[in-house]
Amino acid sequence: MKRRSFVKGLITASAGSVIASPWVARKAFAAAHTDTVKLGCLFSSSGTMANLEGRLNFVARMAAEEINAKGGVLGKTVEVITTDPGSDWPLYAQLGRQLIQQEEVAATFGCWTSVSRKSVLPVVEQNDALLYYPLHFEGEENSKNVVYLNSPPSSSVLPAVEYLMSEEGGNAKRFFMVGSDYVWPRTINQQLKGYWAAQGIEPDAWREEYVPVGHSNFQTLINEIREFAAQPGGQPVVILTVVGNSIPDFFREYVNQGVSAFDVPVLGLDALEADFEGLDTTSLVGHLNCWAYLQNAAGPSNQEFLANWASYVEANDIPFSPDVAIDPMVSTYDGVHLWALAAEKAGSFDVPAVRDASAGLTFACPSGYDISMSAENNYVKRGVFIGSLNENKSFDILWQSPDTPEPVPFSPYMNT
Amino acid sequence: MAHDQTAARVDRPLLFRIVAGTLFVLLVSLPVLGGPLSGSSAGVSPYVANIIGQIATFALLALALDLIWGFGGILSLGHGLFFAMGGYLIAMHMLKSGYVYGGVTPDIMTFMGWSELPSYWALFESFPYVMLLILVVPGILAFVYGYVSFRSRVSGVYFAIITQALTYVAMLLMFRNDTGFGGNNGMTGFTTLVGIDIGAPSMVVGLATTSVLVLLVAFLACGALMRSPFGRLLIAIRDDEARLRFLGYDTLWPKLAVWCLSGVLAAIAGALYVPQVGIINPRLLSPEVSIEIAVWVALGGRGALSGAVIGAAIISALKFWLTGFVPELWPFILAGVILLVVTLLPNGLLDLKLTFLRRASTRKASARPAE
Amino acid sequence: MQPAYAGCTFPALHLDLIMLFFRRTLARFFIPLLLIVASMPAHAQDRAAILTEICSGDFAAQQSALGQLASAGVEQGETGASWARTIVDAFEGRNLRCGDGMAVIDGDAGAVMAGTLEPVTNVDSASLDAPSVNLRLRAVAASANAVLRLFTEMEAAERLNAANYIDQRREAATGTNIGAALERETDPDVRAVLITLRASLLMSDDDPTNRIVAIEAIAEDATLRNRTMIAEAIKTETDAAVIASGEAALADIDQTLAIGQVLATLYAGASYASVLFLAALGLAIIFGLMGVINLAQGELIMVGAYAAWFTQEAIRVTVPGLLDYYLIIAIPISFLVAALVGLIMEVLVIRRLYDRPLMTLLATWAISILLINTVRVTIGSQNLEFHQPGYVAGGFPIVGDFIMTSNRLFAIAIAVLAFVAVVVVLRKSLFGMNVRAVTQNRSMAGAVGIDTRRTDMMAFALGSGLAGLAGLALSPLYNVNPGMGTGFIVDSFMVVVLGGVGSLIGAIVAAFGIGQINVIIEPIYGAVAAKVFVLLMVIVFIQWRPEGLFAPKGRR
Repeated sequence: MKRRSFVKGLITASAGSVIASPWVARKAFAAAHTDTVKLGCLFSSSGTMANLEGRLNFVARMAAEEINAKGGVLGKTVEVITTDPGSDWPLYAQLGRQLIQQEEVAATFGCWTSVSRKSVLPVVEQNDALLYYPLHFEGEENSKNVVYLNSPPSSSVLPAVEYLMSEEGGNAKRFFMVGSDYVWPRTINQQLKGYWAAQGIEPDAWREEYVPVGHSNFQTLINEIREFAAQPGGQPVVILTVVGNSIPDFFREYVNQGVSAFDVPVLGLDALEADFEGLDTTSLVGHLNCWAYLQNAAGPSNQEFLANWASYVEANDIPFSPDVAIDPMVSTYDGVHLWALAAEKAGSFDVPAVRDASAGLTFACPSGYDISMSAENNYVKRGVFIGSLNENKSFDILWQSPDTPEPVPFSPYMNT
Repeated sequence: MAHDQTAARVDRPLLFRIVAGTLFVLLVSLPVLGGPLSGSSAGVSPYVANIIGQIATFALLALALDLIWGFGGILSLGHGLFFAMGGYLIAMHMLKSGYVYGGVTPDIMTFMGWSELPSYWALFESFPYVMLLILVVPGILAFVYGYVSFRSRVSGVYFAIITQALTYVAMLLMFRNDTGFGGNNGMTGFTTLVGIDIGAPSMVVGLATTSVLVLLVAFLACGALMRSPFGRLLIAIRDDEARLRFLGYDTLWPKLAVWCLSGVLAAIAGALYVPQVGIINPRLLSPEVSIEIAVWVALGGRGALSGAVIGAAIISALKFWLTGFVPELWPFILAGVILLVVTLLPNGLLDLKLTFLRRASTRKASARPAE
Repeated sequence: MQPAYAGCTFPALHLDLIMLFFRRTLARFFIPLLLIVASMPAHAQDRAAILTEICSGDFAAQQSALGQLASAGVEQGETGASWARTIVDAFEGRNLRCGDGMAVIDGDAGAVMAGTLEPVTNVDSASLDAPSVNLRLRAVAASANAVLRLFTEMEAAERLNAANYIDQRREAATGTNIGAALERETDPDVRAVLITLRASLLMSDDDPTNRIVAIEAIAEDATLRNRTMIAEAIKTETDAAVIASGEAALADIDQTLAIGQVLATLYAGASYASVLFLAALGLAIIFGLMGVINLAQGELIMVGAYAAWFTQEAIRVTVPGLLDYYLIIAIPISFLVAALVGLIMEVLVIRRLYDRPLMTLLATWAISILLINTVRVTIGSQNLEFHQPGYVAGGFPIVGDFIMTSNRLFAIAIAVLAFVAVVVVLRKSLFGMNVRAVTQNRSMAGAVGIDTRRTDMMAFALGSGLAGLAGLALSPLYNVNPGMGTGFIVDSFMVVVLGGVGSLIGAIVAAFGIGQINVIIEPIYGAVAAKVFVLLMVIVFIQWRPEGLFAPKGRR
């Protein structure tokens, strides 16, 4: 009897202390470090988004280091707390709650897919916290608890499609939309259809197909694209809104079936330098993308950023390439700096103060543009680049905007 | 001889009572520590209450699986399907009631381009209706699938693989936006449940308390059921179905009954889970999630209801802790735990007790229930 | 109403850029050039004009310049064509730099003047702009390059390539320059292509007979693109004979296209089936023999693919000359590495769980998590790059629009090889006989003296090795990253369960059936519907016939 209850007690006690220890440890830690301000990161290091989101954790840290080297924010050292939502959308919400309620972070940087952002949105709204969201997205949202660091379709998709439809871009007249089946591609395509209707383009000039997220077998679909291309009516283009690993899978099959960028150019709206790491791009030269930053952007601030990133990767033994810089990395970097500037300007870390102080801020972005925020909405004004894929897996700059266009949160083309 | 062992395992009064007692204590203290006393040092923050509530729903889910696996000998690697069903039903209720009573347009209508909700959303704003659906719809699905499979004598490994394929199919279907349940975006943006704001601390604690309550009730009820003649029959079927058939029992209906009960319990767990986590997404239907449920039960010890509850609690707590603290390590620890349990502790943590408490060497071999 | 993106209308911007460039060009280039031009001999004058246009940044001027360059061979023969080709190459590669009144080509040996190709020393070419090459210009330039190759290449094979290329890309081909090339051409194969090419360029000729000739020439190659060309042409056609010929040609092409479509579907189904079969083969053996459900099968596939990659890297470093053969060399390596991993799995874990299949499930699932994360943490989560040797790149156009892609052919070949190897092993070797015996009746086999434990171990290694082979075959087809295996689990299990546990023929038939049905449904209802339908079909089938298609006899 005694031994049984002893053993039981032992097991329960050890289980209990194991479970309780983090809270105890954290309280002790917090007590010892009152001169830091915490920022939280919600970027996955495992699962399907790992290869893309994983880098952003390190960029946030790098930005924090830069800020700390200049004395921190309001005299406090910035500490970045990273978590791993494992590409599991509900876990983003859970960890968001943890960061905001338990860790009491001053701001959160996170999410890539719109699904993950939408799962975190209720959390930041209920707790009146701030989420800095670094990806270009479908718009149709303007929460006061989210800072939209990157472009809605008006400054990402539409300039690129306009370019393709112009003489120089090839006079595109027919469009084959291929997207992953979730909110971002569907909303983008809806806006595009509205835009084309407004231009007087007939519905039979476009086609819309969706594949599951993570789909990899594009044999049949590209066959259909070839068929579509061979029909009369003008230059066909593919508007590609698949995400993640579907992008290299799509392009690989493109090469296999011998379709070239001259025949049917692809506007890969989510295609990044990182997506081509495993491909030989000599047969893919000429395909396009559209972002607010391209690695080949000219200018000293970009050179500095790239050099800093390369040395940061080497110094900290980070498992990502030191030679690849993608747009969301720069947006995250900008986001941390913007937050720091806002906090300094507001003189406090309180979310309402920081939010109000954000209006009118500017920052010299590595893309070469001075990005800024206005009092009208929570969007950041940035420049636009259209890139053309070259043999070295990066994008040459085909066109860039002369200034930073006004972001348009709610598209006029949505409900046509 | 084996019969007595297993009967004794179900009937282990002390552990059962300990778990039931712990749950009862939790049930009573949570509203107090989470409510008026939440600010104090002994208090429980809404965040922690939320975690406890989620763990309780997982424990309920593990209980459901243990019913059919531990006692019925039927492994399902697709129980996530029922869990998700309950979740989707409650999500639809929250969105519809928010729309009808609160005027909040659900996101799903925006990105699907709907001007009004389709016909199958009718009546979802009514809480009693949804409660009924949560009991009935998973039950019907379980009945249909179970009837067809058990009649064809599909069992064991085949059954497990087929359940996995079923949940995979459901996942693929639900990931399609055109299926009409939100696709990959799932459903989120819940505002109220039974009239209370979902983010309010009182609601969080209330949901957690309710989860613990439901868990306790289910735990006691299932315990009673398994100790009843029906439970004995089930265990007999698990141990040697052919013999029982030859003895004249119709084994189809008991199996079907416990299978349907299991499905409904899982759905209730799902319905309690989703309001606490704030989003539902077809990810819940993935085979990985369903396999994790089996891991909970295996760790705790199949064939003992307390084992299922303990296993689920420990692993979920570990997961919550580790993914926040040392996310890199979590997959390795999970894999390690499973391998440990499977090779060294075939009956889960309860094996620890068995070897401590009964040192007779005969136990080790014969105490294992037939697969 | 606010425009879509206020302040950034595209055509307006275009104009700004043009004006900017023109002002710059005028100031720095054109005026000094006038002076230089006045002192140059006649043909050089053309060069200067062409260079001015191509440097101008004006899109229409650049296109015109490229057209003139393409026709350089007509008037000026080989020398003119050779110079033109240098310019086009430089333009395409963005090595042509303009500014300060001159055009310079940046070469490996230093900069040269574009007009004369003489070296120049005191110019900082990095400070000059390279005109940007958009898609349209790129297409025209590539076509011009091919036309010029007809004039400048010594090797007939090269000219043949160029001629075939022009057939696909006709932007810079005109009746005149192709005609001129034809006059100089001696090689019969090249002449044949050029004759057809010129004929089809005659589509808009005045003489109806020529138009009929052109239609027939185009109809030789029955592709959808050519069909469209003919269909469009006869829409505006007036001559009855030409219309008749056109419609006959269309009917012919349609028939060929239909055949091509059927073949394409069969091929796609066969290739998908070969992938499924490879993934399921190892599983069929393991499951059939030992009743072990190996949820780590996908990860063994991943291990095989990674082994192939390491082979590639090792060859690249030690004997780079053999790099093209890395896939072949990796065949035994992928097999052995995966077999080894499987062996370790078996000895450490699975061995203890033979009488508990449900526990093996959990154990192998844990191992799969371990494998994925170990690879992710050590090597990284990015997609690995695989060099594509000639035998897995591109494809063979067969009939109509059907292209038999080489990489899938490779996968089919490996699948066949694997199947043959396994059949030989199972039928002809002692080990194979032991495996069959144990599969049929384990206790009896043990009773007659077969070491069942050892057989299990070796069979598990064999099954794992086969998964490794699958990984090798898939590396030219799919992304290779730590999580690549997870997509194959459910499918491979369906193949094994449908085919009948332990039956190889069953696995093939099941794989083929599943693959083909999937491919047929996909274009109609989409990828997801196809998959769902196939899975449900299998599930229903299993309910009706739980032992699968070809259940092997024997006591289970």
